[in-house]
Amino acid sequence: MAAVLQAVRARLRRLLGTDENGTVMKIRRRNQFNNFIWKSLPIIRLILLVAGYAWMLAIPLPNLGRKTYIDENALQPGQVNTYWNWPDVLRADRYLADLEGLRDRNASSAEQAAYIVDEFKKLGIPSATQAYSFTGTSGVSNGTNAYAIHSSPRASGAEAILISASRISRTGDLNLRGISTVISLAAYLKGSSLWAKDLIFVISDDHLLGMQAWITSYHGSEQSGLVADPLTLSSGVIWTALNIDYPGHSFSHLGVFFEGLNGRLPNQDLINSFGLISVYTGGVPILLYDHRDPREVPHLESKLSIIPSWLPEIVKKQDAVKEYGFRAKNILRHVGYQARGQTSGVHGLLHRFRIDAITLFAVPATGPHGFHAIGRIIESTLRTMNNLLERLHASFFFYLLVLPSTFLKIGTYLPSVILVSVSMMFTGLGEWVDARWYQPKQSSIEEKAANGQAKSEAIPRPRPVLKALSIVLLTHLAGIALFYLRTLSLASGSETMSLLLFFLMASVPLIALTAHPSPPQAVAPLSKTLKAFNLCFASTVISVTSVLNFSLAAALAVSLGVPLSYSSPSRSSLGIKLAGYTIYAVLGFGWLVLCRKEVQEAIWNWEVLGAWFALFVCIIYSPLVLQAAIVSVLPP
Amino acid sequence: MGESAARSVDERWKGLRNALSGQFCASLGSLDEQRTTSPELTFRPEGSLPQWGTTHQLRHGTLPSEHVCTENLTPFLKLLPCKSLTGIASLLNPHRLFDADWHGLGVHVRYLENEGIEVRLSFQSVFDPVRYSNGRRDWSLRSVFDRVIDRSCPIAHSSEIRVAIPKEETAVAITPDSYTTHAGFVYFNVSNASKPLDISMSWPDEQKFEYATVSSAVPLTHVSVRRTLKGSSQSRGRLSVSITNHMPITIQTSYLESMPWLLQFYLHSLQIYSNGVSRDDLISIVSYIPSVPHVRPTLFQAILTLPPKSTLHLSMDVIKPFLRYTEHPPDAQRGWDLPPAVLVPLLHSNSSTLDPGLSNPPSGFEQLRLPRRMYTPVLLVDLATPDFSMPYNVIIMSCTLIALIFGMVFNLLTRKFTLIRVSPEPK
Repeated sequence: MAAVLQAVRARLRRLLGTDENGTVMKIRRRNQFNNFIWKSLPIIRLILLVAGYAWMLAIPLPNLGRKTYIDENALQPGQVNTYWNWPDVLRADRYLADLEGLRDRNASSAEQAAYIVDEFKKLGIPSATQAYSFTGTSGVSNGTNAYAIHSSPRASGAEAILISASRISRTGDLNLRGISTVISLAAYLKGSSLWAKDLIFVISDDHLLGMQAWITSYHGSEQSGLVADPLTLSSGVIWTALNIDYPGHSFSHLGVFFEGLNGRLPNQDLINSFGLISVYTGGVPILLYDHRDPREVPHLESKLSIIPSWLPEIVKKQDAVKEYGFRAKNILRHVGYQARGQTSGVHGLLHRFRIDAITLFAVPATGPHGFHAIGRIIESTLRTMNNLLERLHASFFFYLLVLPSTFLKIGTYLPSVILVSVSMMFTGLGEWVDARWYQPKQSSIEEKAANGQAKSEAIPRPRPVLKALSIVLLTHLAGIALFYLRTLSLASGSETMSLLLFFLMASVPLIALTAHPSPPQAVAPLSKTLKAFNLCFASTVISVTSVLNFSLAAALAVSLGVPLSYSSPSRSSLGIKLAGYTIYAVLGFGWLVLCRKEVQEAIWNWEVLGAWFALFVCIIYSPLVLQAAIVSVLPP
Repeated sequence: MGESAARSVDERWKGLRNALSGQFCASLGSLDEQRTTSPELTFRPEGSLPQWGTTHQLRHGTLPSEHVCTENLTPFLKLLPCKSLTGIASLLNPHRLFDADWHGLGVHVRYLENEGIEVRLSFQSVFDPVRYSNGRRDWSLRSVFDRVIDRSCPIAHSSEIRVAIPKEETAVAITPDSYTTHAGFVYFNVSNASKPLDISMSWPDEQKFEYATVSSAVPLTHVSVRRTLKGSSQSRGRLSVSITNHMPITIQTSYLESMPWLLQFYLHSLQIYSNGVSRDDLISIVSYIPSVPHVRPTLFQAILTLPPKSTLHLSMDVIKPFLRYTEHPPDAQRGWDLPPAVLVPLLHSNSSTLDPGLSNPPSGFEQLRLPRRMYTPVLLVDLATPDFSMPYNVIIMSCTLIALIFGMVFNLLTRKFTLIRVSPEPK
């Protein structure tokens, strides 16, 4: 048998016209391939980079994306008759009148909470208040939450649904209608025996602080700076939550806000169910955020659209361009929230406790909808949540909503960032290999003629790994120091302090200018080794982040992709070197001076809500840019 | 049926479980040894023990994840002498019972010396007449049960309906008037009363019922308990129990946790606070049998001393173990229901525990002499759960990875390394 096989192999070899050993051929083929890759590496990485950016730009294209659908069969959205009716609206109106009375005589938040608790008690629902005080760098804030828990008649109360309204709306106005809706709903929902989950009603103080105090107490987690009363009523595990934000007199659309802290998203089934119910049960069109489609309101089109006005009319009039512009606007808003790890509303504070939550924002308008529509929609949405037998778990946590009923699956948007990241990784590995081999220059002409011989004569040289790693480590340590300096209370908001920090961070690495070039055949240049580490680390960070927080990864890919890949030590004069360095320094630390308000907000988010963005920028992003800056001033 | 070598206690316990399971259409058969304990400190034998000269043993199990439903009520009704055809049992209308705000079904069996075996069947429910009577609190048997008693059960020894009269000073009308009054209760004898019997109670002066915002009523129980599981991670948490003593006297109660191994206690982290002060002296006679994963539940019993009119906070760290994937239930993402804790106030043999300042015992004190078990609500715990919604993706992905790794390692291990001279490429 073996002999037969050998004979066949020998014949095949003869047929292919080589007498050589197959292994030799294999090795030769592999070498050829490697050479090809190595030679075309600059083109490959450029292609990857361009493809990645082009893909990002293609995400809002009108023909991408698919219609939303309900994945969890138990939800059955919109399959129930709703009985919320005018008497309940009247009740909400009465609560509203009382709340407005309290507002008009400037009642304290404790007084308002006491009123709300009394109203819950009059309905026969156990309720209580919770006072809290938060001490942070920006001062002390006090407040009082009111909450009520209606025990489920159908089950043992091990699971719960949360319905909340914050006292202050996301617009900064009072959310009196949201609160009235919640109390009136409590009165109405108590009238049916079909609730299989406990219903928890929370009227939280402030916009975000109150809910943060309530939800951390509910889960018994400690937070520094926050002193909150323990909760005297308890219920089971909260699975889903709805937050009602209804600041205006009436509303035309219901907007859905869903981004949570640190880029967490709720299960998409929740958004989809709400969308279906709003449109088909309540007859209220839904929006993403408060973005109205510019095509629907022609007189405001120029204000609502983000298509630049300098484009020629013929382009702007295209339907596809308009659609692209509208989708891009939605995506940019999403990226703005998610990349910064910000929550887009009160609901976002709940995500970290595995609660799928969204905010319904009643977009203020002169009409036509009011308590009647929102009550029916919430009732039906709660019935849908009540149907759940287990947590929302189907594979609907990765999505990019481009329109209220159109989304991109993970496979359609994730590769854009990964392509950029791969390009950076290739560049980094290329630099690593390049640093190893020294190409003698003196015999370049003959070698070129001999073609191929050149490779074999490259001289291996050691790479200054330890030096490069120490620089990497030092920059990240500097990032940690920067974070602590910036969050110190004395530094908060002061302009001189920001400038001082900026110059401190930006000027110290200039020591690198004093470094002397080492002989290239003896040891690899430090800049090459450092760049290799820098790119490999940046690429890893981007790929890992892309599945946790796509928007942040995309923002990193955009801001780091080109600058890090094309940072190189120049032989030119000190002036040009410094100019290059300045660009890097501004890219890495410019935020200290240029967006101070933004920084303040990020630090508040970190201190109060635990959003990681400020920390991430200080410890990962800025040091990475700083390393590229050092590469550009090091001797080649 | 004494203890014999052939049929051990556990085997008979298994038989009993399965028999009850079949009798009441409940999944009681799944109360296996992973959920069975013998908490001898908390549960004393009720009734009397048969004089068989052998030792007796105790078995206790809780099945928290199943709700009582109409399929349990039907076999239950069949055990009644008149079924649900006549007598008070005719009020057991499943449509209304399971529409109530709370319902429970009980079967108690005990042996009484010289009398035989007593079987007590009970059905409890809490109705909300405000929900049925359009904002008023008036109720009648018809409005609550949608039935009236047409005939009495002829073989019943006694058949009595007891109605508590509200303590507040409002006019209450009770019909029919064929009742006797005793100690704040109204008694109807169903066998003698004229049929059809529809007891009703109404507040004629009240247009709409409004719940009081400040509750002046005495608590219905001497002790109230709240038990929660804190922490949001899937690996650890903290079990927290607050027990409030509403009475002006010190109460001793036994506390039982029979926890499946899904939640494992860190007993060293047990903390007891009363009014913000750490009070380790309030817990005594701690008996603890740790769980064995996949085999046996935890049994934790202790005697707690509850100071008068105060709240005791007991908490301890727990860890949530990692389950084998075959051990997850069909709706895995729901989490696991954990059995309730049980509190049994201890009998007071003398009144020395009374506060010295108290001249005469409070009104409810006499009732306290009877042990009254209290069960806390069940808990739901989230364990680390794999995504069962796409098992094939997971299997394909992990198998591919393993195949790749195996392939590479196998290739390297079995490869023969030889030197090959590669001459410059012929051009």
